Amino acid sequence: MEIIEKIKTNKSIDNQTEIQKICLDKLQSSPLPNPRSEQWRLSNKSKLSNFLDYSVNENNSKFDIPYPKNSQSTIRLIIGENCQIKLIEKNYSIRQLSEDELQKYIKEQISCFNQNENWSDLLNLSLSCKNNILGLKINGSKIPPIEIFSYASSNSLNAKTLIIFLEKNCNVELLQVNLGKENSSLSQSTFFCLEENSSLNHGVVSYGVNKSNLLNSLNVIQQKNSEYNLGSLHFKFNYARFEIRIKQSEGNAKTNIKGMQITKKDEQISTYTKIYFDGPNGFLDQINKSLADDKSHAIFEGSIIVPKIAQKTDASQLSRNLLLSNRAQIDTKPQLEIIADDVKCKHGATISQLNEEELFYMRTRGITLTEASKLQLSSYFQEIISFIPVSKDRWNLLDKLLNEN
Amino acid sequence: MQSKMKESDPILEVENLSASTDNLPILKGVSLTVYPGEIHAIMGRNGCGKSTLSKIIAGHPSYTITNGEIKFLGENINSLEPEERSQSGIFLGFQYPIEIPGVSNLEFLRVSTNARRKFLNKEELDTFDFEELVKEKLEIVKMDQAFLSRSVNQGFSGGEKKRNEILQMALLEPKIAILDETDSGLDIDALRIVASGIKRISNAQTGIILITHYQRLLDEIEPNYVHVMSDGQIIKTGESDLALELEKKGYEWTDNFIKET
Repeated sequence: MEIIEKIKTNKSIDNQTEIQKICLDKLQSSPLPNPRSEQWRLSNKSKLSNFLDYSVNENNSKFDIPYPKNSQSTIRLIIGENCQIKLIEKNYSIRQLSEDELQKYIKEQISCFNQNENWSDLLNLSLSCKNNILGLKINGSKIPPIEIFSYASSNSLNAKTLIIFLEKNCNVELLQVNLGKENSSLSQSTFFCLEENSSLNHGVVSYGVNKSNLLNSLNVIQQKNSEYNLGSLHFKFNYARFEIRIKQSEGNAKTNIKGMQITKKDEQISTYTKIYFDGPNGFLDQINKSLADDKSHAIFEGSIIVPKIAQKTDASQLSRNLLLSNRAQIDTKPQLEIIADDVKCKHGATISQLNEEELFYMRTRGITLTEASKLQLSSYFQEIISFIPVSKDRWNLLDKLLNEN
Repeated sequence: MQSKMKESDPILEVENLSASTDNLPILKGVSLTVYPGEIHAIMGRNGCGKSTLSKIIAGHPSYTITNGEIKFLGENINSLEPEERSQSGIFLGFQYPIEIPGVSNLEFLRVSTNARRKFLNKEELDTFDFEELVKEKLEIVKMDQAFLSRSVNQGFSGGEKKRNEILQMALLEPKIAILDETDSGLDIDALRIVASGIKRISNAQTGIILITHYQRLLDEIEPNYVHVMSDGQIIKTGESDLALELEKKGYEWTDNFIKET
């Protein structure tokens, strides 16, 4: 684990920023997460080690965007490609955060970090150089859809950071695309702050190719009357970990999450979510789907935390899983921690296989077993894909999942 | 089984068929022959093996044929996959049509129709041509076009599901249709629509097997033969008046036949 050796000695990374220094210091004493901690116990150690084996690459190779922009109105940004943006229009403005604003915000975040829980963020911020941090402040209305790309170059470890402030009464549609190249590791940390009455429809689509790895961490703070909708899809990674931490800081906010991970061959993809209600009248509707084939491993661990202050919380968390092979493995653990006494919370998990009666029905209509399975899977995928905003049709996600994956 | 001599070759021949699931015998030597233009009714108590027989003819993978054979147009089809049987012209109308959320009815119907057309060496239909064809067929079962844009059978009432089955039969133009309790859960009007649809689709070249509990469907579609099943066997075969007698006397009357056999 080349990078861990560097962190231990903390000498080889030159020209460190203050943030990098703080994070490296934090990591130096225990550079790896505790493998026995709840957040990491199921994580494949050798795959994590493989993630950390690549050299850190601060320079970004040329990136070929997989799809052309279909609409002039879509704003497309690529983290690491010196994207300078300052859009001040009649109804809205998008501007980059200043160095000071970024430093201040990140330092605040780091001060709340827990070594195991935020290890992915600590690693990201210790490696992410100035060029690879994109900070935006958005306000206004009628904002065009935004696409933001992160990618890793082959044979290297790239760290990218995204920080977005949505100011009051602002509505945004944002698709975040994380792409892995062959033999690469991408560390992506994202921080959103949704101010009062703002709303964000957020899509996260992450897919790789051979031996791509991903550590994807998402941190959202929702102020009152804000709404955060997340549709996410992770597939084709040798090792991927999606961590979602959402805090409704004053309650009275809405969160909807529909996520899916698809594993094949010997891949391991996991999703960890922690939704914290720090005020009353919070709302959460979450569904996480996993599909595991061959000898792969899919993991979901979700926790909903409802302290005493969070009365009248209404939260639901469901984990639905499809096991397509006898050798595949799915671990799922939705859990509730409730202190408040006047709440409506539910959670559940199911693991099943393709429905044989549905398959037989389709086959009696002349549809082959392969096609019938695809139809059934497409119906399983649709619920999640339809929740991903911004030009999802153009991305042919369903086709990618059914035919390319 | 049939006494009449037939001029043409049979469509379906089930010969001394025995089958089991999880080592539990369900069918115990069923024989049945259907010639073109014939309508057969199969009646019997719940659990006597009627639906199992229909599923085995359609190729359900959960059942194992332990003895006998199924011949379709003279060929043994025991080892054919369900889709191969369907493509070659065997249609099973389900007692409980399956809901497939997220799959549009129109696309489902198009894919299955094209699978059959491909087998028949007919040109496959694109979405536009298929819409024209399906509009024609919708009229047979008095269905609204809105059903096409919904997911397969999802949110359909019992009657709508059964009409959707007959719509599929109309599109696939099978050589033989086995309709498993198509009349169950239908009100009088829906029953008439379904029955009239079946009559319009069937012709002198096709065969139909109606699995039913009630005379009311047979009032609408008069069968040439009525078979009574019990404990995995056909214990009596007669003409349409057998169903009337059964309606009058109940299945207890057929217990005497079991004693006799």
